[in-house]
Amino acid sequence: MNPYILTILLFAMGLGTTITFASSHWLLAWMGLEINTLAILPLMCQSHHPRAVEATIKYFLTQATAAAMLLFASITNAWITGQWNLEFMSYSLPTTLVTVALALKIGLAPLHAWMPEVLQGLDLTTGLILSTWQKLAPFCLLLQINPSNTSLLLILGLASTLVGGWGGLNQNQLRKILAYSSIAHLGWMILVLQFFPSLTLLTLLMYFVMTFSLFISFKVNNSTTINSLSMSWSKAPIISSMVPFILLSLGGLPPLSGFMPKWLILQELTKQSLAPLATLAALSALLSLYFYLRISYAMTLTMSPNILLNALPWRLPSNQHTLPLAITTSLTICLLPLTPAIITLLTL
Amino acid sequence: MLKILIPSMFMLLTTWTSPFKQLWSTILMYSFLVATLSLTWLAMPTDTGWFYINNYMAYDPLSSPLLVLTCWLLPLMIIASQNHLAEEPENRQRTYISLLISLQIFLILAFSATEMIMFYVMFEATLIPTLIIITRWGNQMERLNAGTYFLFYTLAGSLPLLVALLIYHSSMGSLSYLSLTSLPLTCSNLYANKLWWMACLLAFLVKMPLYGVHLWLPKAHVEAPIAGSMVLAAVLLKLGGYGMMRIMIILDPLTKELSYPFIILALWGVIMTGSICLRQTDLKSLIAYSSVSHMGLVAAGILIQTPWGFTGALILMIAHGLTSSALFCLANTNYERTHSRTIILARGLQMVLPLMATWWFLASLANLALPPLPNLMGEIMIITSLFNWSFYTLILTGLGTLITASYSLYMFLLTQRGPIPHHLILLEPSHTREHLLLALHLLPLLLLIAKPELVWGWTA
Repeated sequence: MNPYILTILLFAMGLGTTITFASSHWLLAWMGLEINTLAILPLMCQSHHPRAVEATIKYFLTQATAAAMLLFASITNAWITGQWNLEFMSYSLPTTLVTVALALKIGLAPLHAWMPEVLQGLDLTTGLILSTWQKLAPFCLLLQINPSNTSLLLILGLASTLVGGWGGLNQNQLRKILAYSSIAHLGWMILVLQFFPSLTLLTLLMYFVMTFSLFISFKVNNSTTINSLSMSWSKAPIISSMVPFILLSLGGLPPLSGFMPKWLILQELTKQSLAPLATLAALSALLSLYFYLRISYAMTLTMSPNILLNALPWRLPSNQHTLPLAITTSLTICLLPLTPAIITLLTL
Repeated sequence: MLKILIPSMFMLLTTWTSPFKQLWSTILMYSFLVATLSLTWLAMPTDTGWFYINNYMAYDPLSSPLLVLTCWLLPLMIIASQNHLAEEPENRQRTYISLLISLQIFLILAFSATEMIMFYVMFEATLIPTLIIITRWGNQMERLNAGTYFLFYTLAGSLPLLVALLIYHSSMGSLSYLSLTSLPLTCSNLYANKLWWMACLLAFLVKMPLYGVHLWLPKAHVEAPIAGSMVLAAVLLKLGGYGMMRIMIILDPLTKELSYPFIILALWGVIMTGSICLRQTDLKSLIAYSSVSHMGLVAAGILIQTPWGFTGALILMIAHGLTSSALFCLANTNYERTHSRTIILARGLQMVLPLMATWWFLASLANLALPPLPNLMGEIMIITSLFNWSFYTLILTGLGTLITASYSLYMFLLTQRGPIPHHLILLEPSHTREHLLLALHLLPLLLLIAKPELVWGWTA
């Protein structure tokens, strides 16, 4: 893509999110979300492939619906309370409608159906932007509203973890797996939103780091299916030996950093006397772990039959810029001992 | 304590920076040094107190035998793995040794943890290197299934444990071992408290394993390479027993009624898995089921909650660790020569490898709990404490002892005695390394006859 166009689009995406971050007026927040959506659409269909265009249209339709619902909710709130401020939503109808609209925007179950199909149509980099940057603005709004109904967020959260787990089990396309993993992690974030919002932010940031590592590892191997990952040991041996740790971190196994958000969320839920919910959410993480484990089996822990010639790609020099991958992989694996420091940072 | 932990961590550095020609000797010498230093943990000036290292790590008569067993096992694993890794590329050999060393670090941290969440994190952390050892270096296609069963059985048991620990923490304020004895949970007879009791124990029962949830063990033990089988049988199962012993303190008045079905299940498991051993055709599978059988007795001894029960359980854990690991090493000597685990394929070996037959003999005798070995001491103490609880358990435990004796004898007679088949006449002679390995397993067992107070636990 023309570098000027790319610059304008990326700048516009940043602008949209920043406007939403900085806004205290509902109209301005909605505007930021719309700018964000519109800016990513050309990035999504830049390859002009019919599948990519289909993904773009699906994304546009769902996000536009969500934004319209959001606008409707804020207008209703303005009608009832006479003001447009973000934090002062005290009636249940607008608050619930805003929550559901934002759930559609980020892809929580049961409003998740667009996510795997959209991610499948994109290339890995744009998919990364969709999974990480695009979640920032809706979460900023979710963190600021007072939820009206306790059980709504809990149902959204638990349904997302279960759907994210079960949905990914039958997939062999990596982008769909990443979509379901995203849904599951978003479920964990929503579970604790009304009790300890800093943990939502912590989970979001940890998810960003972990999924960034995974997306970039897949991009380095230029693979989009599980089967094509089986040759990664010859292209990038170190990356293929680190990916099981990234995957197990996404699955939430101690002593990797992915355990940190899950542990703290379970702690908060048990403090709020929601122990059965905590147990169910913890066990649903095992579903996701199964397909993460399957990917690591294919990539690192088994070697498929092959000819000697295919063992040579690592000898060729590569122009990949893998410094960000190195940094995020180290963070994904080694951050658990810093839990007290991170909690303190986020609860300031 | 840090004199052992920090050198273990730096062993990782040594693995990656030693010259390749000296890798195995260096690591072996280093790990033996650490193991010898760890023997100082066995010296207990006071009988039941804790020895604090810092706020987070301590050891007491319960955890010090297990810590010494862990440190002792690493050089043995290195000796055992040397042969089958010899043809692998250099970096893979270094990776394998790093996995073994990281397993030891996690195990030291687990056994010396003073706070239950630290124990939990390290308990789970041991799963990752073991999973990688089983699935990457196992030899058959079924190893992937074995790794999945291993990981998921253990995690499905231990996630409720995490929630149960957090519940206890939120109501009692602390999960430190030091305060556990003075803060039992005051519980009414709510159904939720029974679920909490179950959640606390399920992880350890799966890890031990208890008979109904033992399916992961035969798969994992059989498919793992020799170092994986050794560490699984010798130490990782004992993590379950150790955790159970630690957490029994807070489970108190509920255990009087709730443990009843689990004691019976454990004893039934002793008989059932013993009987399965009599029908096995796979040597490693036989030893794996024998592990389930012994650990069933350990589980019953712990659930009984008497001093003799705990002592018997700890002695049996240490003795079984050494014995089972020795049996797996012996099975591995067969495997490296015939590349098969079928028992009848490698029989009558006393004719060809007479000195190895001595080790088979000693290991089988230890397995069937011959006096005066510590295996017998453990079993007698558990059987006695069970008899004290109820006379009828003697039927189950007596039958279990009989079946244990018969399958141990069966294993010995089938592998060593009888005519040797023609295809085995030209077997490679035993290496000195293999004799050293088995001597190092069985010598501590024989020495423990002289001073079992080292592994008696709290009732010293």
